[in-house]
Amino acid sequence: MFKLTTLLLAGAAAASFAAVPAVAQQKAPLTILRVIDADNYDPIRTTATAAAEVMYMLADTLVTVDFDMKTIKPGLADSWTISPDGLTYTFKIRKDVKFCDGRPMTIDDVVYSLKRWTDPTNKSPVSFRGGPVKDIRADGDSTLIYELKEPYSDLMFQLALSFASVVDKATVEKLGPNFGVQGFNGTGPYCWSKWTPRQELVLKKNPHYSWGPPIYKDPKPQIDEIVWKVIPESNTLMAAIQAKQADVTYYMPYIALDTMQRIPGMTVQRQENYIYDVFMGFKVDKPVVKDKAIREAANMAVDKEAIAKAIYFGKGRSLPSLLNPAVVDYDKDSAKVMPKHDPKAAAKLLEDAGWKMGADGIREKDGEKASFTVYGIRNSDNPRISEAMQADLRKVGIDMKIQLWDATVAWGKLATQEFDAFLMSYPYVTATEAMNLYFRSQQAPTPNRMNWKNPKTDELLKAASMATDADKRRQALAEVQTQLTEANVWVPLSSQPLWIVATDRVEGARAHGLYGAGLYKGLDLKLKR
Amino acid sequence: MSSPMKLERNAFQPGAKTVEAAVSVAAAAPVRRKTVLRMLLSDVGSCVALSLVVLAILGAVFASWLAPTDPFGNDLANTLKPPGEGSLLGTDGQGRDMITRLLYGLRTTLMMGSASVVFGCTIGGIIGFAAAYYPRLSGLLMRFMDILLSFPAILFGLAIAAIFGPGLPAVIIALSIATVPLMARVVRGSALVVLQQGYIEAARSLGLSDLRIILRYVLPNCLSAIFVFVTLRFGQVILLGAALSFLGLGAQPPTAELGAMAADGRNFLFFAPHVSVLPSLVIFAVVLAFNVLGDSLRDALDPKLRK
Repeated sequence: MFKLTTLLLAGAAAASFAAVPAVAQQKAPLTILRVIDADNYDPIRTTATAAAEVMYMLADTLVTVDFDMKTIKPGLADSWTISPDGLTYTFKIRKDVKFCDGRPMTIDDVVYSLKRWTDPTNKSPVSFRGGPVKDIRADGDSTLIYELKEPYSDLMFQLALSFASVVDKATVEKLGPNFGVQGFNGTGPYCWSKWTPRQELVLKKNPHYSWGPPIYKDPKPQIDEIVWKVIPESNTLMAAIQAKQADVTYYMPYIALDTMQRIPGMTVQRQENYIYDVFMGFKVDKPVVKDKAIREAANMAVDKEAIAKAIYFGKGRSLPSLLNPAVVDYDKDSAKVMPKHDPKAAAKLLEDAGWKMGADGIREKDGEKASFTVYGIRNSDNPRISEAMQADLRKVGIDMKIQLWDATVAWGKLATQEFDAFLMSYPYVTATEAMNLYFRSQQAPTPNRMNWKNPKTDELLKAASMATDADKRRQALAEVQTQLTEANVWVPLSSQPLWIVATDRVEGARAHGLYGAGLYKGLDLKLKR
Repeated sequence: MSSPMKLERNAFQPGAKTVEAAVSVAAAAPVRRKTVLRMLLSDVGSCVALSLVVLAILGAVFASWLAPTDPFGNDLANTLKPPGEGSLLGTDGQGRDMITRLLYGLRTTLMMGSASVVFGCTIGGIIGFAAAYYPRLSGLLMRFMDILLSFPAILFGLAIAAIFGPGLPAVIIALSIATVPLMARVVRGSALVVLQQGYIEAARSLGLSDLRIILRYVLPNCLSAIFVFVTLRFGQVILLGAALSFLGLGAQPPTAELGAMAADGRNFLFFAPHVSVLPSLVIFAVVLAFNVLGDSLRDALDPKLRK
């Protein structure tokens, strides 16, 4: 089987790249393969992971996140203080930073970029992440004051995300809506060179760059040119890496990882703390699924462990409760109230709740069938995940109808009230962010597609968000996680594994994965030849 | 105008007890069923095609008796097993037995094909006969058919799935609409030839109703063309339906459908090729069989091609 596979792979690789002339060149660019492109690369105008993964290379943020996904490290700011009332953040900004065009970065650039991000008049879909801003101003030529109307405990992590990247005002104004489309000017380790949408984005080394975050061994970029290439078809992507026509990817189909591991010289490495979770949420005001017994039985009937293993070919892990155990403020105790996998107990629970088995194998109660419709995006994993869940639910007499939509219409469909449950996968950095995003009542109908409107949840989430003390925040979040786990609003499924695969030409590849960005700033990456 | 002599001659055919019966005898230029069957069976290709079609239909009809396992029950510990390991044809991405899924998939695919052909051909046939029989309607109807012809079936599928949501009904509607203009053209063409015949003139002179003339005299004489078209179209429709399902617009899980099954396996093509290859082979065999059968039927039904 292995031989056949290798033969097939080699054949496909030869076929897909037959047209590419073999140019013998000294240190060809580093080619990173991915499956989808972003609509634009303006940090405040896109929420796409495909934009974020390049943005960290193009631009810098005030602070950075370590590989543990829990520790904030310096970025453009080398130190900071937070006032005891949690309202004023003071950052000391580095003075040795230069933009790609060689112009030194000033404090005004930082103020401009952060204001551009948080200003409601810019209508950025990510402005909420900046918190309740009162004022952002400079104090002298290297101190930034970020003042809030009320405490916002998530600010430091949000400032580390690509949305808060520092950009050059002159370039933004010159290019207008084409900023991040026709050009870009940031202070990142790599500079924008050329973008061919849906094909490739070429980056060149920022020659001035020496201010890389301390999470890397070398603060300077080591590669002259990086090409982010889009290959939507997973078999072709796999063949390209196998044939060494490309150097790095973290979009390798999970089924191929073992084969890759067997190839001599190939780096295949996992980020243990990757936070990109898959869950199914119930609309709690819809018939059938408004019954907690149905939701709880679903959590018991679905074999999450088996699904995580099968979907990710032994590389996946199921989620023990609502959130990823790697995330800041994850509450271990909430996992204790998560119903364990037990189809028999699920059947009994349904039976006791009055859902009696019908002749067609589907339960019913008061003339209503135990049937609900789930919506989701038709990506590479959802069809398999949903079908496995469907089979598990059918075993206890629940009929789950699956309706997966093409990504172009899915977001519109997921904003309606047509469905009873939805499948979703999302990246996040803190529990505060994830919980506030999905469970606040004012977030309904999207992203709170569950229509979960609960005063206690709102109160706790507000308390967590406004906490100035880490323990208090943790406590409030623990209470919310327990409350929501008990309510069975979600069926938490699995955390998507992040595996980086690099050929023997590449040195120093290490998976990071902040907001889906597998290579983060791309420092420490070197080419052997 | 056909000559009155012809009518006279026909009227005195032996066995014709009434004038109308005489017209009937004249109109029935019957292709003897026995001859057709004999011709089909005398050719090895059409024999194989016919047996494949019969086999496919039997497999689909008796899927629930023939299938060794539950088509919807998953077994996540045994996914993507190659043929021979545990099951003769292996398992799919959900650990389901491939034989079971193929049988049920064939059932869905054939049902989708027959429904689309039946709906499409009925509507197309009515339009075709109307256009042929009522020349005044012809221009309007046939131009409308031309408009329909200008849209590819896949586009209909996409549009209908966008409106009603993906699913088998969407595919059946799309394929029926795509079949209507083709059928209408075939039927109108044959009907126009038949309408030139003397016995039609005779039937008209006898004052028979339009519907009776169409059903009794025009339709039976167009049947051979219709049979050939339906058989060939069936193969095309299965292929189109499988393509739409491959795109995710057709059968929704857990329903097994050959096109959707082929799509399911394409991400593991290098590692578990059987998941995609087997349903594709079944589609290939069924479509080929229907095409060969259609060709052979045409040969058998066309007197000019008869040896």
